[in-house]
Amino acid sequence: MWPFIIRSLEVATILLLAAIGELLTQRSGIINVGIEGLMLLGAASGFLAALIWGIVPGYVVGMIMGALFGLLHAVLSITLRVNQVVSGMGIWLFAMGFVTYWADRYSGPLPPGVVSLRIYGLSPLFFIGIAAVFIIWFILSKTHLGLKIRSTGENPFAAEVSGVKVIRIRYACTIIGGALSGLAGAFLSLTYLGTWSHLPTKGLGWIAFALVMFSLWRPQILLGGAILFGFVWQFAISPESVYAGIPAPLPILRMLPFIVTIVLLVIISSERFRRKWWLAKPEALGVPYIKE
Amino acid sequence: MVYLQLPKLKRERLIVLTGKEAVLISISSLIVAFIIFSGFLMLEGATPTEAYGHIFTFAFDPKLGLSTTLHRGFFILFSTLAFIVPMSAGLWNIGMEGQFYLGTIGAFAVAYSLPNLDPALLIPLMITSGALFGAGYGALAGFLRGKLNVNEVVATLMLNNIAFWLVYLLTVGGPWAGIAESTSRPLPASARAPIIWNTTFTSFLAIGIAILLYIFLKYSSLGYQIRVLGNSSVAAKHIGISAPKITILVMSIGGAIAGAAGYHMWAGDPAFYMIPRPEAYKAIGDLTYWGILIGLVCLLNSLAAIPFTVFIGSILVGSTVLVRRLRLPFGLDVLFLGVISLTFVAFQFFHNYRIRRIRRE
Repeated sequence: MWPFIIRSLEVATILLLAAIGELLTQRSGIINVGIEGLMLLGAASGFLAALIWGIVPGYVVGMIMGALFGLLHAVLSITLRVNQVVSGMGIWLFAMGFVTYWADRYSGPLPPGVVSLRIYGLSPLFFIGIAAVFIIWFILSKTHLGLKIRSTGENPFAAEVSGVKVIRIRYACTIIGGALSGLAGAFLSLTYLGTWSHLPTKGLGWIAFALVMFSLWRPQILLGGAILFGFVWQFAISPESVYAGIPAPLPILRMLPFIVTIVLLVIISSERFRRKWWLAKPEALGVPYIKE
Repeated sequence: MVYLQLPKLKRERLIVLTGKEAVLISISSLIVAFIIFSGFLMLEGATPTEAYGHIFTFAFDPKLGLSTTLHRGFFILFSTLAFIVPMSAGLWNIGMEGQFYLGTIGAFAVAYSLPNLDPALLIPLMITSGALFGAGYGALAGFLRGKLNVNEVVATLMLNNIAFWLVYLLTVGGPWAGIAESTSRPLPASARAPIIWNTTFTSFLAIGIAILLYIFLKYSSLGYQIRVLGNSSVAAKHIGISAPKITILVMSIGGAIAGAAGYHMWAGDPAFYMIPRPEAYKAIGDLTYWGILIGLVCLLNSLAAIPFTVFIGSILVGSTVLVRRLRLPFGLDVLFLGVISLTFVAFQFFHNYRIRRIRRE
């Protein structure tokens, strides 16, 4: 049972890192649907870097790659004012092609010398992920900077008038969000999988994206959601580690995380729920800011 | 004194974009993509002009790539049309992949249960069944969006992943499993799509749907309602258009078109006549996302989408020679499409703005 819990928490770490980054991005008013792509880029660059320099540089390179493409999304959607959904989709499609070209020729496991650090089996990144949630929660709800970020996401015009540098804040949040997605990808390929295979994310990035909605844009709920989905995802992959005699065939179990996502989406999208809990949804989410 | 005068640039918001401008924008975005990709080609030690020559001579050679080019191109046309209809009503159908999988299931279910039926009856039945399955799946997403207010981008993506595993369930070790590992049983000979002029007849079906959609969206009253909803949900409400109803309708139409592609894809190419391995059908499913980019680049004009999809098909098919003929590394072909997707997106800027030089006084 313990290995199963560890593996689940590793999936939770991936979701946590990617989703908390996206939450920050969305709180500043930018929606990035390209998390899956950023994760792929982070996973590939992290994996290739780890082949040369080892595990920690792998994480760092993955993070830098994520930040670079976060920057690209920022340029496209903030400066060039391309529709944010389109920009994210474009980055995702590019990532699928680029990563196949770049990393597939190195398919296979990491060399034996490259091992992830673990404390009682758990990666330190799990704790870093939790710390990231608390830091972002603290910044968003307790600091002046957080107020600026939130006002940028709610009403950029009012924010600008009161002296907030809307463009700068949106850029920063999108880049940080990208970096965290890249780190999540690097963690996926280096620690969770320990190998490179063709397009390894398998929809995890989209689950992370949906998690931001479930969390109702609140970091505390996001933490719980990520851990829950970590368990659901891992259970779908290896149900035998929980209970050997599960009658459902593998493909049905693999649908489980996605079905759970839809059910939860239906619940939180209901009228009662929206009125009561959707207050934290950034009002200007996805709307380009045009300064006249 | 001489001052170095840098031109001062200003961006101007465009109110309307003419079709001619849209064509110019997309051609320039393609040129930029070709230039960027040349860099990658040179990095791999190939001569770009020679490589591009190989790509297009292969893709359009009737003896080599042409039929596959048209087949894949029109497959992308199906998904482009499946994207255009909901988008005209302001809805993001990212679910063409799932609707296509469901269409595959619908079409194959008919073929496997009635293998001895006359082709003249079996083939239309397969297409209809595929379209119905796709429409049902689209309607499900439409219901989630229209009645339950679920964000359609996330909902359709989740449905895509579910549909992927549904096909997996049927083919890999499931009731449809073939003799070869992890593919389905071959389609009965009666289910194969007849070939007309180097391509399957369903390619003409796609063109027909494109023409019909153009007329439907532009001239019919329902098409008008769809476009009103797409432009302003407030206006739609005021003139009494039921948003949930239209939402479910457009998602079903989109789903039906994507579902019909389930027949076109597997029964229209002699290389298949079955559902291939999961990685292979997933790779085809991933092509459906091109529908989104092409739909937007063509300003949701279903007729303009036709040349575009064939062009993307030619790159898809032609760039495989980079790997096979020029012995360049695997994946370079998919990278080319990735680069084009990025330049398409970046050039969306020019759909809303124009850069103008202003003279200094």
